[in-house]
Amino acid sequence: MNASAAAAVRRAVPNWPGWHRLPREARDTLFLLAVIAWTVLPHASHLPAWAIAMTAIVLVWRGRLALANAALPGRWVLVCVLVVAIGMTWWTYRTLLGKEPGVTLAVALMALKTLELRARRDAFVVFFLGFFIILTHFLYSQSLPVAVAMLVSVWGLLTAVVLAHMPVGQPSLKQAGGLAARTALLGAPVMALLFLLFPRIGPLWGVPQDGISKTGLSNTMKMGSMAEVASDDSIAMRIRFDGPAPAPAEMYFRGPVLTRFDGIEWTPLGLPFALSGLPARPPALETRGRPIGYEVTLEPLRLSSVPLLEATTEVASIDGYRVVPRDDLQWLADKPVLERLRFKATASTRFVLGAPRRVGEIQDSLALPDGFNPRTVAWARAFRADPSRRAATPTQLAQALFQHIRTQGYSYTLAPGDYGRNGIDEFWLDRKEGFCEHFATAFVVVMRAAGVPARIVTGYQGTDLPPAEGYYVVRQSSAHAWAEFWQSGTGWVRADPTGAVAPDRIGRSTRLAPQPGFVAGTLDAMNPELFAQLRSAWEVINNRWNQWVLNYSRGQQLDVLKQMGFVAPTWEDLASLLVGTLVGLALAGAIWAWLDRHRVDPWVRQLERMKRALRALGVAAAPHDAPRALAARIRENLGAAGEPLAALLDALEARRYSRAAVRRPDPRMTRDFTQQARRLRPRTT
Amino acid sequence: MNAASPVAPWNVRARVRGWLTSRLPRTDTQLLTQGNVYILPTRAGWMFALTLIVLLVASVNYQLNLGYVLTFLLAGSGIVSMHITHGTLRGLTLHLRPVAPAFAASPAVLDVVMSSPSSARFGVGLRLLDAPASTLAWTNVPAGGQSTAHVSFVPATRGRHDVPTLSAETRFPLGLFRAWTVWRPLAQVLVYPRIEADAPALPAARPAAGGPTQARRSEGGEVEGVRAYRRGDPLKLIAWKKAAQALETGADLVSRDTSTSARQELWLDWTACGSMSAEDRLSRLTAWTLAADRADADYGLLLPGLEIEPGDGDSQRARCLEALGLWH
Repeated sequence: MNASAAAAVRRAVPNWPGWHRLPREARDTLFLLAVIAWTVLPHASHLPAWAIAMTAIVLVWRGRLALANAALPGRWVLVCVLVVAIGMTWWTYRTLLGKEPGVTLAVALMALKTLELRARRDAFVVFFLGFFIILTHFLYSQSLPVAVAMLVSVWGLLTAVVLAHMPVGQPSLKQAGGLAARTALLGAPVMALLFLLFPRIGPLWGVPQDGISKTGLSNTMKMGSMAEVASDDSIAMRIRFDGPAPAPAEMYFRGPVLTRFDGIEWTPLGLPFALSGLPARPPALETRGRPIGYEVTLEPLRLSSVPLLEATTEVASIDGYRVVPRDDLQWLADKPVLERLRFKATASTRFVLGAPRRVGEIQDSLALPDGFNPRTVAWARAFRADPSRRAATPTQLAQALFQHIRTQGYSYTLAPGDYGRNGIDEFWLDRKEGFCEHFATAFVVVMRAAGVPARIVTGYQGTDLPPAEGYYVVRQSSAHAWAEFWQSGTGWVRADPTGAVAPDRIGRSTRLAPQPGFVAGTLDAMNPELFAQLRSAWEVINNRWNQWVLNYSRGQQLDVLKQMGFVAPTWEDLASLLVGTLVGLALAGAIWAWLDRHRVDPWVRQLERMKRALRALGVAAAPHDAPRALAARIRENLGAAGEPLAALLDALEARRYSRAAVRRPDPRMTRDFTQQARRLRPRTT
Repeated sequence: MNAASPVAPWNVRARVRGWLTSRLPRTDTQLLTQGNVYILPTRAGWMFALTLIVLLVASVNYQLNLGYVLTFLLAGSGIVSMHITHGTLRGLTLHLRPVAPAFAASPAVLDVVMSSPSSARFGVGLRLLDAPASTLAWTNVPAGGQSTAHVSFVPATRGRHDVPTLSAETRFPLGLFRAWTVWRPLAQVLVYPRIEADAPALPAARPAAGGPTQARRSEGGEVEGVRAYRRGDPLKLIAWKKAAQALETGADLVSRDTSTSARQELWLDWTACGSMSAEDRLSRLTAWTLAADRADADYGLLLPGLEIEPGDGDSQRARCLEALGLWH
C-alpha cells in the first residue's frame, strides 16, 4: 500500500489503526477487497454505471464492516441486492446471456460474495469467480498492459488463498505474497510447456463473433471503424514472392468488397462466404504482364474473405478449406479462417476487371439511401453539371475529384473525431479531416450521386519495408479502404482517393501514428530523444508480445515441431508429444517418489553407515547401540588405534543432543569415519 | 476411545480403516517420508479443476491465447501446490513427548514436537485420527527448528492405554490438496480412575501407631495457630470465627494449623467407601488421595490385596494413583 493510498484511507476512515496494527481478520479481508477492486477495475470502461457504483459501494461497505469487526448482513439483504442486480442487468441489456450481461453479472456476484465471506468455501468461490473475471478481460483486450495488470490480479488472488491457509499467527502479506509468487513461478515451466504444445483447435461451437474484441478487416464498415485497426500492429499476413516483388504502391490486398450502403453502414452484396455446392463465379479478368508467384502465411482473420494481392488468378488448394474467386475479384473461403494458413498463389498486378456475372450489380453500385447526406448529393450533382464536366468520362470525373481533394484543404488524420448521422456531408463539405475510409466512402457517394457506379473495396495496402528475410509483413495497421468505379468499355477501375491527400500513405507501411496521449505528448515535448527511444523500445516489446504470445497458433506450433526435427508434423504429433512429455514427467516423479520412500532420518542413516564400517572392523554394533556405547566398545576392542573413531563417535553424540541436531548431519564426519575405519582394516585382518 | 471399540461388521469402511491402521508400526518418533504421507485433492481442488476446464473451454472457443496462458499458469500453480503440500509434511519429524498420566473422563494432553531439518513448514495441523477436523491444532514449524502442538483426548477408562492414533495434515499453500499422515505412537498413557465429583470428606486420621511419641488427640490436632486456607483443607480444620473476621476484612478463609501436631495417619480404605461398585470405590479413593495430598497429610492406601504405607509428597501421590489406576 503506497503513501497516497494510506493517506486516502486515513481520510476516509478516521480511526484507521494503521496497516500493521489491524487485526489479522480485518487485514486479510481488506487485502482481498483490494485485489477484487483491482481485478474489476479494468471493466469500468465497459460496464454500465450502476454496476460500477454498486460494486464500489458493496466493496467499501464490506471494508467498513471489516474495520469495525461488525456482523455481516443477513441472507435476505444479499438476495434482495442480487435480485436488483439481475433486474438492472436485464433492464440494461434486455437479456442475461452474452458477453456484456455475463460480465456485469459476474462482477456483481463477486462483489456480493464478499458480503458472505464466512467460511473457507466462500473464499474459494471468490477465488474462482476472480479467475473468470480475469478471463473476461481478455475478451476485450489482450494487450501487454492488460496482461500485466491481470498477472498482478492472479498474484493477489493466490496470495489471498495462501493467507487463508496459514492459520497460525499473523503472517505478513509480504511472506504470503512471496509464497504465492514462488508457487506461480515454479508452475511457469508447466505453463510454458502446455502453452507451446497444447494443440490449438478451432472453436468448439459456433463462431464467437461478438465475443472477442477484434481489430482488422470485417464484412462491414462504418465511419470510424478503421481507426482502431490503424493502431493495431499485429500481423495480418506475411508474403514471400518467388521472383522480384511488385512495387509497394501496387501492393493492394483485396478483401471484402462493399457495395450496399444504408446511410450508416457499408455491407457486401451476396453471401460473405463461398457456399459449397454452388458453382464458383469467376471474375471476368484480363491480365497482362508476367504472373507473380507468391506464398502467403495468413493469420486467422476470422473472416471468410481471404485478402490476396490484386489480381490473384490462382490459389493452390488449402487443406480443410475451399477457396474460390468471386466475380468481384474477392477470394472467399467456405468458412471463416480461424487458424494460420500457408499457401501458394499467383497474381498479376496489371489487370482489367470486367463486368460482374450477375445482372443488376452495376445498378446496385449506383444506389444511395434516401435522406442521408443530402448536401453531398447536391454538391455532386452540381459538380457533374458544371459545363466543363458535362461530357467527362468517369475517369476524368475521378481525376477532377482527386484534384478537388488535393486543392480544397483536405487533410489526412487518424483522429478526425466523431461524425454524426450525415457523416459524409460533415466530412466532405465542413471538416475535411479523415483517413482512408472517409475519403473512400465520400468518393463513392459523390461518384454515385454523379451517376457513376462505384463501390468500396477494403483490404490491406503496403507492407513493412524492407522485407525481413524475404518476408513482406502486412500488418493490421495497413488495413485500407479504397474505391472502384465502373468505366464502361473498360471495366472496374481502382481509385484511391487517400493517395490524393496523403501520397505517403500509399506504398508505405509506416502510417500516420495516432495522436499521442497527454503523458506521451508532454514527454515528447520535454525530451524528444528519450521519448523516441522509449517509444521504439515499447514497440519492440509490443511486437514481440504480439508475435510470440498473441499470434501463437497451430501454424507456429507445427513450426516449433519442425525445428525439433519432425518432418511433416500434424496436430496428432503435437498431442502425442504433449502427452508423452507429461507422462515422462509424471513417471520421473513416480520413480523419485519410489526411491525416496525408503528414506530414513539422515542422522540414523549416518549412524548406520558408521556401524557398517565398524562391523567390517569386527566390532559388534547392534541396531540399538548409541554412539557413546560404540565409542566405549571401540576403546575396549581396538585400544589407542581406535581412538580417532571413538572421538568421532563422541563428537557425533554431542552433536546429536545439541542444537545442531535440528540441522542435517555433517557429511564430513561420515567421510572421516569411514576413511579412518578403512585405514584400520588391514591391521585388524 | 482407544479401547478397541467393537466395529459393526457391516461398517466395511471402518473395518478397512482399522485394518490399515493396525498395520502401521508403533513409534514415538516418526519421520514423514514418501511412504507414509498421503495426498488427495480436496473438494476445493476438484472445484479448481472444474474452473480450469471451463477456462480452457472458453479460451478454445474464443481463441484467447492469454486465456490459455491464464489457464496453464493456474494449472502449473496447482501442480506445484500439490508438491508443496506434500513437501510440507515430508521430511518433518514428529516426536511424542512422554505423556503425563491423566484421569479417566478428563482430558489427557499429548505434546507432539514437530521438527523440520530444512525449510519452514506452515499450517500443519494435528488431531486424533478419529476426531473431527475442527479439533485440528495448527502450528508452524520454523526452518531448522521445532514447534509443539498439543492435542488432548478424554480416556474413558482407567488403566494403561495405548496413545490413540494421531493424524497430522496440511492444506498449505492453496488448499487444493490435503496431505496427511497417520501415526501410531508407541507410548502408553497411564490413566487414573475418574475423580469422583463431590466426594465426601476425608475419613478421620488416626495417630500414627508406633510413630513419634508425641501422641496427641485426634480430630485434627491441637489448635496451635492459624494459617491461610489451602484448597482441600477439610471443613473441620477451618477456624470459623477467625475466618468470619478475616472475610470481613476481605482476606481469605483461615484454617487451623495442625502442622506441629502429632503425626496423624490417614488411611484411605477400600472398605470405608460403603457399598459401592468397585470402579466407584476407586473413584472415591482417587478423590480422597487428591484431597489428602492437598491437605498435606500423611496417608496410606488400603486396597484388597494391596497396601501402600502412609507417606506424603508427589511420589506418594503418584504411587497411590498408579495403584488405583492399575488395580484389578
